[in-house]
Amino acid sequence: MTKGVLVDIPKCLGCESCSVACKLWNDLSWDPEQKVKTAKDRAKEPNKGLWPNDWTSINFYGLEKEGSPAWRFVKTQCLHCEEPACVSACFSKALQKLPEGPVIYDQNLCVGCRYCMLACPFNIPKFQWKKVIPGIRKCQMCPTRISNGEAPACTSVCPTGALTFGEREELLAEAKKRIKENGYIDRIFGEKEAGGTGWLYISDVPFEQMDFRTDVTTKPLPSYTEEYMKVTPIVGVSWAAILAGLYVYFNKGKEPLE
Amino acid sequence: MARKKENVRRVSRRSFLKFLGGASLAGASLNLVGWGKPLTADKAAGGNGWLPTQYNIPGSWPTLVRGRVPIEVTNPSIVRDSQKCILCGQCIEVCKNVQSVFGHYSLPLIEGIVCVNCGQCIHLCPSGAISEVDDTERVLKALADPDVHVVVQTAPATRVALGEEFGLPVGTNVQGKQVAALRKLGFDAIFDTNFTADLTIMEEGTELVKRVKGELKKPLPQLTSCCPGWVKFVEYFYPDLLENLSSAKSPQQMEGALIKTYYAKANKIDPEKILSVSIMPCIAKKFECKRPEMVSASKEEKDSNITPDVDIVLTTRELARMIKKAGIDFNALPDGQYDRLMGDSTGAAVIFGATGGVMEAAIRSAYYLITGQQPPLTLWDLQPVRGLLGVKEAAVNIPGIGDLKVAVVSGLANARKIMDQVRAKKSPWAFIEVMACPSGCQYGGGQPRASAPPSDDIRAKRSAALYQSDSNNQLRNSHDNPEIAQIYKDFLGKPMSELAETLLHTEYKSRAKQFIGEKEKSS
Repeated sequence: MTKGVLVDIPKCLGCESCSVACKLWNDLSWDPEQKVKTAKDRAKEPNKGLWPNDWTSINFYGLEKEGSPAWRFVKTQCLHCEEPACVSACFSKALQKLPEGPVIYDQNLCVGCRYCMLACPFNIPKFQWKKVIPGIRKCQMCPTRISNGEAPACTSVCPTGALTFGEREELLAEAKKRIKENGYIDRIFGEKEAGGTGWLYISDVPFEQMDFRTDVTTKPLPSYTEEYMKVTPIVGVSWAAILAGLYVYFNKGKEPLE
Repeated sequence: MARKKENVRRVSRRSFLKFLGGASLAGASLNLVGWGKPLTADKAAGGNGWLPTQYNIPGSWPTLVRGRVPIEVTNPSIVRDSQKCILCGQCIEVCKNVQSVFGHYSLPLIEGIVCVNCGQCIHLCPSGAISEVDDTERVLKALADPDVHVVVQTAPATRVALGEEFGLPVGTNVQGKQVAALRKLGFDAIFDTNFTADLTIMEEGTELVKRVKGELKKPLPQLTSCCPGWVKFVEYFYPDLLENLSSAKSPQQMEGALIKTYYAKANKIDPEKILSVSIMPCIAKKFECKRPEMVSASKEEKDSNITPDVDIVLTTRELARMIKKAGIDFNALPDGQYDRLMGDSTGAAVIFGATGGVMEAAIRSAYYLITGQQPPLTLWDLQPVRGLLGVKEAAVNIPGIGDLKVAVVSGLANARKIMDQVRAKKSPWAFIEVMACPSGCQYGGGQPRASAPPSDDIRAKRSAALYQSDSNNQLRNSHDNPEIAQIYKDFLGKPMSELAETLLHTEYKSRAKQFIGEKEKSS
C-alpha cells in the first residue's frame, strides 16, 4: 500500500505554512532572488516556483467562478508517481520509489546525466546548476518522517486541512466523497494521470485554469519503453555470442597468433 | 621476428583466472557500497532540518496549534518575513481565539484574505517574523523636502509607551519628550489627536443623544467607530448592523481632514503641499488612512491634487526607530508643547487609549449635552468601565432619560458575543464601546513589544498612566476644551452641522461579499 497526500484546493488560503515547513525540515536555504517573489509571480513562471532549494511552492490564481471572483492557491511539488518515469530513466539507480510511496533520490549514486528531468512529465526535478558537484533536487515526501509514522512536513503544518496524508486508496475514496459533498469538478487529478500519482488534487474550478497538465497520458510512462528496453540484456548477451561465433568461424583452421 | 612474437600477449589459463578474480572483486566491492541495492528512506536528499516538536508525532491526528495566519502581500499594515517563521502557530491562536477572525469564515476564498489589520499577531510572534509595514523612509523623504509641509498628530496611547523603547519604566508618560523629539526630527506642525478625540466625543455624543431621543432615525445601541479594526470587523461579519456604528470618523481621520482644511486656511497654507502624518499605537490605522472615502479635504476643496486626509501612519515602534536613527537622546529632551489650534485636550481625550475610555468620556459629555449641566464627580471616575476585563457593563442615571445602559468590550472574540446578542435584539444597552485589541489602544498592534507574549501587568501599568494623566488634567470634560469651542465657533458651526458631516462623518460598506460566512458552511 502506498501513501499519498490529498490536496483539497478550495480549502487552501495561501498561508504558505507548507513551503516554510519544507524549508525548515529539509534545511533548504532561502534564495534572496526567490524570496521576494509572490504567489502570483510564481504562478506565472514556467517552473511554477520550483527551484533546487524550493521543493514546493504555493501559486496564486485569481479566477472567476459563476460570475464572482475566486481566489485559488495551488501547491506544487513532486507528485510521486506510482510508476515514475524518472526512476525508469535513471540508469545509476539514484532515483528509486520506496514501497511506502515516496520517490527518493540519493546523490551519492547520481552521475548528473539529468535524464530524469527530461523524463518527468510534470517538470519537477531541478538541477543544481550553480554547484561544483551538482545534484538533482526535488520533493522527497519526507521519507524518514513517513517511516516514523508521521505525515510529511508540509502536510503536518497545514492549518486548514487542505492537505491530508494517508493511504492512497483511502484518499481516493475520501476525494470522491468530497467531490460529491462539495460539488467539485468530477475529476481527481493524479488518480490516472501518468499511471497514477501519490499526490491527488481535487478542485471546484477546472484544473486547466490553474496550469495543471491535464493532457498528460494515463498510461504509466515507463510502459512506453519497457516492452523493448527489457530485452536490452538479452540483445547484449546474444550479440556477444554471435560475434564470438563469427570470430571462431572465420578463424577456424588458421594458425593461432604467436 | 622472435622478439615480435614475445610481445604478443597470450591468453593463458592463469591470466584468464586473474581477470575473472579481479572482476569478482570489483563486483563485490560495488555491492558493498550499495550500488544496485534498493534505497532506504535515510538515503534520500534533505530531511536534515527540524520542525517544532508539536509536528513530530506519529499518526494522522491533526496538531492542535499549527500553521500560521495568511497575510496578503498587499496588506497595508502587516508584513511577514517567511525566513524567520518557525511555524509555532501563535499568530493563528491569537487571530482565531482572541480576535475571532481566522477560522470564522468558510473556505474557499472569494476575494482577498479576511484580515482586520489589528496586528495582535505581531505581538505574539516569537521570532519577529511578523511586523508592521515600515513607512519611515517615506516620512524621512518628506521631512527632507523643503517644499512639503509635514504636519504630525500623536495618538493618546503612544505617550505612555514610547518611553519603553528608550529604557524608561513601563507606564512613563513622555508626552512632552515625544513632542520635542518630533520637533527635532523636523516636523513643521505638531498636533494632538487628543484634540480630535474631544471633537469625536462632541460629534459621537451628539449623535448618541439624538438616537436616544429619537431625533435621528438610526437604531440603538450605538456602536463606537474610532477603532478601524473593529469597524472592518463589523463590515465583514455584521454588515446588517452597520447602521448601529456611529457615523463619526475616528479621531485620526477627523484630525487629518481638519489639518488640510481648518489648519490650512487658518495658516494660509496650500493643502496640496501638506503631508499629514500620524503617530499611532495601531497598525489598522495604516489601513484606515488608505480607505478610498477618507479624502474629505480633497472633496471639500474640490481639488483632486490634495492627497488623502492622512497620508502616512507611523506606529509607536516606527517613531522610536526614527528617533534612534536620528541619534536623538530621547531621555535628555526637555518637554515640548503641542502647536496651538489643535493641540489642547482634556482628560477625557487621553483615556481614549484605554478600554472604557471612550465610554467614560462620552458619558461625561452626554450628561452635559442632555442636561446642560456639568457631570457629577462620580462620572470622573467611572470604575465599572475601567480595568482590563474583556466585557464591562455600567448603568448611568442621567436626569431626563433615566438609566443609560452601556457596555465596554475589548478583544474581537468578546465583541462577537456581544454582537450576536445585538443581532438577536437581546441587547439591553444603548451605547457599546468596542476596541479590537485586548485592553484597548495602549496594547495596540503598533505599540512597543514590552513583553512577549503581551502581559496584563504591562497593560495595567499603561492604563494607569493614562488615567493618571486624566486626573492630573485641569479639564476633565471634552466639551470644556477651549479649542473645541473655538473650532465650532470659527469653522464647524455646531456638532453634526453640514460641514461637520462632510469632514467628520463617514459611511461604511459591507465586506460580506468578500468571503463565505460561517452560517453558510453548515447548510
